[in-house]
Amino acid sequence: MFHCKIVFSFGEKMNKITYQDGPILEINKLSISFFTRLREIPAVMDFSVNVQPREAVGLVGESGCGKSTVALGIMQDLGKNGRVVGGSIKFKGRDLSQVSDVELRDIRGNEIAMIYQEPMASLNPAMRIGKQLIEVPIIHEGISEREAVMRALEVVRDVKLPDPERILKSYPHQLSGGQQQRIVIAMALMSKPSLLILDEPTTALDVTVEAAVVELVKDLGKKYGTSMLFISHNLGLVLETCDRICVMYSGEAVERGSIKDVFDEMQHPYTQALFQSIPLPGADKNERPLVAIPGNFPLPHERPKGCNFGPRCRYFEKERCDVTDIPMSLVPSNDRHATRCLRFQEIDWATSGGSVEEKEKTKIGDVVLKIEDLKKYYEVASNTLFDGGNKRVVKANETLSFEAHESETLAIVGESGCGKSTFAKVLMGLETATQGQILLDDRNIEQVPIEQRNKKTVGEVQMVFQNPFDTLNPSMTVGRQIIRALEIFGVGDSNEARQQRMLELLDLVKLPRSFAERMPRQLSGGQKQRVGIARAFAGDARIVVADEPVSALDVSVQAAVTDLLMEIQREQKITLLFISHDLSIVRYLSDRVIVMYLGHVVELGSTEQVFSPPYHPYTEALLSAVPIADTSVQKQHIVLEGDIPSAMNPPSGCPFHTRCRWKSEVPYNLCERDIPEVQELDNGHQIKCHLSNKQLDRMEPVIKIAAE
Amino acid sequence: MEPMNWWAIIAQIFWQFIPVWIALILLFSVSFIYKKRLGLYGKLYDSAIGLIGFGLVMFWVFVGVFGAMDFIITHDPLSQVSGMKNKPPGTPMRGATAGEFGYYLLGGDNLARDVFSRVVKGAWIVTQIAPLATLFAFMVGITLGLPAGYYGGRLDILLSFIANLILAFPVILLFYLLVTPEIVATGVPSYMATVLFVFPLIFAGVLLNSRFHTQPKVRTPLLIIVLGIMFWTYLSLVSEPGSKVDLLPSSLDLFDIPGGILVVFVSVVFVNAPTVFRIVRGLTLDIKTRDYVAAAQTRGEGSWYIMLWEILPNARGPLIVDFCLRIGYTTILLGTLGFFGLGLPPESPDWGTTINEGRKLLSIYLHPALPPAIALLSLVLGLNLLADGLREESLKD
Repeated sequence: MFHCKIVFSFGEKMNKITYQDGPILEINKLSISFFTRLREIPAVMDFSVNVQPREAVGLVGESGCGKSTVALGIMQDLGKNGRVVGGSIKFKGRDLSQVSDVELRDIRGNEIAMIYQEPMASLNPAMRIGKQLIEVPIIHEGISEREAVMRALEVVRDVKLPDPERILKSYPHQLSGGQQQRIVIAMALMSKPSLLILDEPTTALDVTVEAAVVELVKDLGKKYGTSMLFISHNLGLVLETCDRICVMYSGEAVERGSIKDVFDEMQHPYTQALFQSIPLPGADKNERPLVAIPGNFPLPHERPKGCNFGPRCRYFEKERCDVTDIPMSLVPSNDRHATRCLRFQEIDWATSGGSVEEKEKTKIGDVVLKIEDLKKYYEVASNTLFDGGNKRVVKANETLSFEAHESETLAIVGESGCGKSTFAKVLMGLETATQGQILLDDRNIEQVPIEQRNKKTVGEVQMVFQNPFDTLNPSMTVGRQIIRALEIFGVGDSNEARQQRMLELLDLVKLPRSFAERMPRQLSGGQKQRVGIARAFAGDARIVVADEPVSALDVSVQAAVTDLLMEIQREQKITLLFISHDLSIVRYLSDRVIVMYLGHVVELGSTEQVFSPPYHPYTEALLSAVPIADTSVQKQHIVLEGDIPSAMNPPSGCPFHTRCRWKSEVPYNLCERDIPEVQELDNGHQIKCHLSNKQLDRMEPVIKIAAE
Repeated sequence: MEPMNWWAIIAQIFWQFIPVWIALILLFSVSFIYKKRLGLYGKLYDSAIGLIGFGLVMFWVFVGVFGAMDFIITHDPLSQVSGMKNKPPGTPMRGATAGEFGYYLLGGDNLARDVFSRVVKGAWIVTQIAPLATLFAFMVGITLGLPAGYYGGRLDILLSFIANLILAFPVILLFYLLVTPEIVATGVPSYMATVLFVFPLIFAGVLLNSRFHTQPKVRTPLLIIVLGIMFWTYLSLVSEPGSKVDLLPSSLDLFDIPGGILVVFVSVVFVNAPTVFRIVRGLTLDIKTRDYVAAAQTRGEGSWYIMLWEILPNARGPLIVDFCLRIGYTTILLGTLGFFGLGLPPESPDWGTTINEGRKLLSIYLHPALPPAIALLSLVLGLNLLADGLREESLKD
């Protein structure tokens, strides 16, 4: 049945393994362990997956579940501590553990190519792009340089980069992040591999750029006939790119099947819990809140007996789920659909399982914060040592005007460079405004830097940061950091009072009081983020700026942290300024939304208004770009060309005109000449666009939920 | 009496070091038992290289300490005994009185002094000056490097320029200039000491004030006590009767540092501080972009609190490693200074001076120069290994 012929010679020409039938990649009961001084840490256990020719398989799971280890195992690149301790990895029928180092080198890059998360780290910064690209086929196939250059040009054109000749001559740092990732993909395709492993290829990119890259990967997979193993934590992305999916939890595959089977007829409690913890359209913070998975991800050496998910599972049955290792069992009547659950046939998957409590909608109060025509410009001198020279002005914020009310969640949405962080800095007092005003309870604070603000004002406006691993000082205990904030805000008269208040704050964010003594490195990402929230509330904050507070967290933890913020908001009536690029979560929790692009507010309105037509063209594209993990959702397909222009050198006229698909509808080249006026539509819905009302009315909803 | 043979000499030296062995065994066994609770220091016990380095360093530290207490030495390092000039190792002493050790274990030097005792006594000088001078260099480097990295801009340009200027100046020439009597007479070294030694005061003052300024009741007495003691020490350190800086009446002067040592100290701090400055500045540039620094800024912390309590503790890993390496460099530098006859008095038993003494007759008598050279080598090697071990262990978690 299997025909393998290996032609192999040094230097000259290396042929690919000719191979006809069966799966490209066959992983059978694979176990991988890492060996440390203390113990053996099993990273992957009893893991099986097959990748058929031309098939894309998604590998989904939270961080630490072992999905990247599987990829490294396939590449036989586990480092000196890692070792395959059981099972086999067969590539085109050959067991990779039996292959010699020399042959392995031939397979890597030539037969199996890998694309990593961080594009800049995958490219050699000291080498021109062209040279890096032609290296691959010259080494692996021994073709001439001319031929290699021709192929490089072709591949660069395939990854839809403009002006391939110029790109080949440039250095990596001269390209944007999206362009770099395209080059990495091009490099992987240079040798026309049979298997492409993508390890979170778009996590470092902006949403609209991500959508374009994902689209590209899908097309190229079809064009080159490459099989793909797509590793991601984002279920929506996997839905858009893959044919089959494998869900991993704590080192094991828990469910495996076609996208349709797994998304619509999930047969494992973890998969179900995962879907309930991500904000899908239709979820609502009051009527249908997210359900967080209780408990924490088990550490590799503290896995429970029996089912790894047992302690967090709502269908857990004592004396049954915690006795022996649980094998994968096939789901009858579905195609190659398997689950690692003993009770899957007893569970009624149609009901959502746990009870969902409805929460009361909070009443939105008076205006707390009022921003009027706020402008923030930076002057960038081309040379800092010698003054003079030519100074350039970066317009980071251009005439922002909006109001925020008590106990309201106001989301600020936009991609990197849109000025949302600059606005946060001005509001916090780390920068002062160039023009306009910020009124906090009728007090002007836009020109008051933080050193001159009084304790009360500083305590009232606080911030929650994005990166949980960075938000706490690694060399101070959790309790000490909160107490320091209390000291600064002048809370409590004695050390004992502050100690008491600190413990109460830990209660508020639902952390055990014993955590006060812990060092940040002993906490998980979600727990750190909770400490960050507790610290922000030390001075009785009324306005909290949350800068992407959950984007770096795993989905199951995201729901819990979001929930916590909502609950604190309900209790303390805080105003939450929620900065994010993730429209799903914005739709879920915000009352009003501001969409920003290159320093401009392009759309402003209630969540409902912003998420339904008429849209600003940018909002429309943004909505279309967000991957949604729901098979019943039909999306209009809008892919933006190119990258976000640099704020140093913004386009003339409307900032979005370079990527706008509606531009041709506006007469007299207006978009390129004038910055559009703000149009007031119904009820406070504002759009900054040249399109006329009639044209706006023609817009169709981007996201449609198919009638069931 | 017969001269001792090599085995006897080695056995006798081993015996003389008994207090050192006991101290080492105690230190290692106690640390090993509690290594789980000792943080980075405890982790050192997992790295063979780091452990060997630490052992070498602690060996010389204990030799220095016990030597200073007159435990190990067999003779007075300064007394000359007739007939022992340039005698080979193991030579018996002529006319040794009762209770006096009867041999020169490692022979006698050109002035008929016991080489073994001089090496042991020299260890005390080296293990005292090198870490202290490095500590001062770190104080200066940190106090200037933090604001340079944190504020950036003109301050950074100015300070970095000065640092580069000092680094570009030939070190040996600088030393020669500093010890030239004419220049000492103008008071330049004393003035430099006055400036350089002020940095620990600034450092401690800012450190405590930024931390406790929210609680004036704690802060004020604490600052008065700490700064008071430090200021007094400082005055005692810099003021010397008869020199240009004579601030303190001698009745209040706690201790006098001999002029030579002060010059050595000043020059070592002066040439080491710019390098430390650059390391700290670089680390600060990196760490100031972290979110916890932004969090401190958004709750209105002062700049010095952020620099000293948020940034500095998180830069400690590379700084500890560099500290170890730098003690090594300083030790060699002290050796070099002693070798050129700069700074320390000529009869001082420190290793550099001793090597220089021994060098003059090296082609005839090897034994006076070799022991201090080996001692210097093993201490610096130990420091480098220790730094390696610390670097390796601080990366693991």
